[in-house]
Amino acid sequence: MPLSDLVAPQAVMPALKVNGKKQALLELAARAAELTGLEERDILDVLQQREKLGSTGIGNGIAIPHGKLAKLERMFGLFARLDRAIDFEALDGQPVDLVFLLLAPESAGADHLKALARVARLLRTADTATMLRDSRDAEAIYAVLTMPVPGT
Amino acid sequence: MDQIANVSLAVLLGSAMVLAGILSSLMAMRFGAPLLLVFLGFGMLAGEAGPGGVPFDNVEVAYLVGSVALGLILFDGGLRTRLSTFRTVLAPSMSLATAGVMLTAAFTAPVAHFALGLGWIESLLIGSVIASTDAAAVFFLLHAHGLRLRPRVAATLEIESGTNDPIAIFLTLLLVEIILLGGKSWPDIALAFVAKAAGGAVIGWGGGRAISFVLNRVSLAQGLHAPFVSAAALVVFGLAEFIGGSGFLAVYLAGLVVGNRPTRAHNTVVTFLDAATWIAQIVMFLILGLLAWPSRLIDHAVPALAVALTLMVVARPAAVFLCLWPFRFSTREKLFMSWVGLRGAVGIFLASIPLLVELPNGQVYFDIGFVVVLVSLLVQGWTIAPAARRLHISLPRSDPPPRRVELDLPGQLEQELVGYAVGPSSPYLRRHLVPSWAKLMLVVRDEEVLTAGEAQAIREGDHVYLLAPPEKAHALDRFFVDMPAPASPDPQLLGDFFVPGEATLGALAEIYGLSVSPEDLGMSLADQFVRRLGRPARQGDVLPLGTIALLAHRVTEGRVVSVGLRLAEPDPLPATIERWKAALRRAWRRSTAVLRRR
Repeated sequence: MPLSDLVAPQAVMPALKVNGKKQALLELAARAAELTGLEERDILDVLQQREKLGSTGIGNGIAIPHGKLAKLERMFGLFARLDRAIDFEALDGQPVDLVFLLLAPESAGADHLKALARVARLLRTADTATMLRDSRDAEAIYAVLTMPVPGT
Repeated sequence: MDQIANVSLAVLLGSAMVLAGILSSLMAMRFGAPLLLVFLGFGMLAGEAGPGGVPFDNVEVAYLVGSVALGLILFDGGLRTRLSTFRTVLAPSMSLATAGVMLTAAFTAPVAHFALGLGWIESLLIGSVIASTDAAAVFFLLHAHGLRLRPRVAATLEIESGTNDPIAIFLTLLLVEIILLGGKSWPDIALAFVAKAAGGAVIGWGGGRAISFVLNRVSLAQGLHAPFVSAAALVVFGLAEFIGGSGFLAVYLAGLVVGNRPTRAHNTVVTFLDAATWIAQIVMFLILGLLAWPSRLIDHAVPALAVALTLMVVARPAAVFLCLWPFRFSTREKLFMSWVGLRGAVGIFLASIPLLVELPNGQVYFDIGFVVVLVSLLVQGWTIAPAARRLHISLPRSDPPPRRVELDLPGQLEQELVGYAVGPSSPYLRRHLVPSWAKLMLVVRDEEVLTAGEAQAIREGDHVYLLAPPEKAHALDRFFVDMPAPASPDPQLLGDFFVPGEATLGALAEIYGLSVSPEDLGMSLADQFVRRLGRPARQGDVLPLGTIALLAHRVTEGRVVSVGLRLAEPDPLPATIERWKAALRRAWRRSTAVLRRR
């Protein structure tokens, strides 16, 4: 299922330069704050709270940091392809270079979970991940993210 | 000259017997029979009544050999017990090792009283003689192939068997004393009990500290560390007995102290004691077998079998259920733990004490004890694996641990060299992962020794040596387990995200907005699996939790280490069909509309 309802064209960072997990979360929170008008600090807090429970690195170089924010009006997605893969404490130990940030309003409930599952399952398909890694600019990445997936 | 010839003959016969005993262990391994049984049988065959015809009825020698052997075995048992494992099961195993032993003895006594017509004190003596479980037999059978238990169950059983001997020995000696010297008042008995235990504990703890202190401060010749420790252990044993404490308790505690402090030459000591306990067991069993008189055993066979049966089916289970009542074990686990009440060397050894001190009917105690141990080893020993399977408490086997070479580095205690062969599909080779506290030092490749720098990339078939803290060395094992790479992850099976098994339900509920009852908020996911499954978890187990599902993603020894979260049910497959149907309906409507317009 395409993610066009979750991610806007301007919410794609094609070559984010970061040195580690902490900095990656910081940069993503900053960009998300810019786009949503929320406080960067609040966003970073919920993301870090979730990471404390266990890394959101789902394996194969992909991470999906996520959290719920009371002040958010609708679900918000932000995608970043990292310039250089970083250690994200992922379960399989592989460095991460594809990051999808998903924020949901406090009231989202089951929709939040469904959206997360959708993002995880889309990024986990090998073809999608390869295409995202091969894409050079934001437009190409956005096209891959919103591309209708065969079979669904 | 006759004397010399006699001695030579004794050496020849004795060593030949030990040799045959050792070789017969091959047979035991093949058939999974308890080795002790084989040694015992061998001793009986060699004895007066068997074809060997060796006349031996020196109870004093048997007692001396037995004491030394038991001292070493108990010390070794303590040395190998990691306090970290010990602590988590301290309460249940101590309850079994103390109250359990006394209850077992008490529950067995009535049968002895009625079947043998002995007095109550004498019957209680029979109960005490066979009240303790045998560490060697329990260790051997729990580790025999095809049997892996929940760590809590296995650790409780092992520690129980390692620590209950002092109590049984103590009870036996006390009862013998009462029979010999006439009645004592109960307060006196209780006082003697406390004094003995306290004496043993103080000497044992102090002795253990002293042994590790000397070991680390005095520079002995390389080969002398292990003999020093063994001799010191026996000194601790003797000293405690001499001042009236329990030597067996002391020597076990000393082993525990030495084994859990950083000491020099730990590995050589363990290896040496391993050999020493083998020899001790073989010799002890041979001698105890020699002491037995099979034809006489038959005279007491019926009451002995009655005692054995009561012990296995009534006394031990009753004691286990009573002692473990306050702790969290399932009924099936308690049944199994009742069945692992293997008797062994200590039982026969204790049964020889009445002979030694020439109690009236001394022979009866020995014969009964002997038969009970025999029956227990035969019946329970052989049925443990099926019992575990029938009770569904045996876990699926995990990969065998890789062989690890440990080398002491003289001059310090913090680090040692740990060596492994690099298998083709070890995680180390596949992912080049090592923990931060381990440092690659040497690589042996094609019989050439290279430094880590010279060797560059590690290849299959290399032997690597890493510098690591000794207490963490075993944690390196999993990096060198030769296991196939995990199959490509199936998202449906794995879940969308992963959290550690120790994460609490509360944390999960907060982030994902799940409804969890308030008393469960602090519970870990791993515990939740245990509680809701009612059995050890297996990989792939699924627990629904509100709108999401928890999947046992990685499981170590029945406990979920990593949990997959399946956040939403997979999209229903027939989505395409629905779309086709919708398209058909649209086409139908359009065509009918066209038709109508006409």
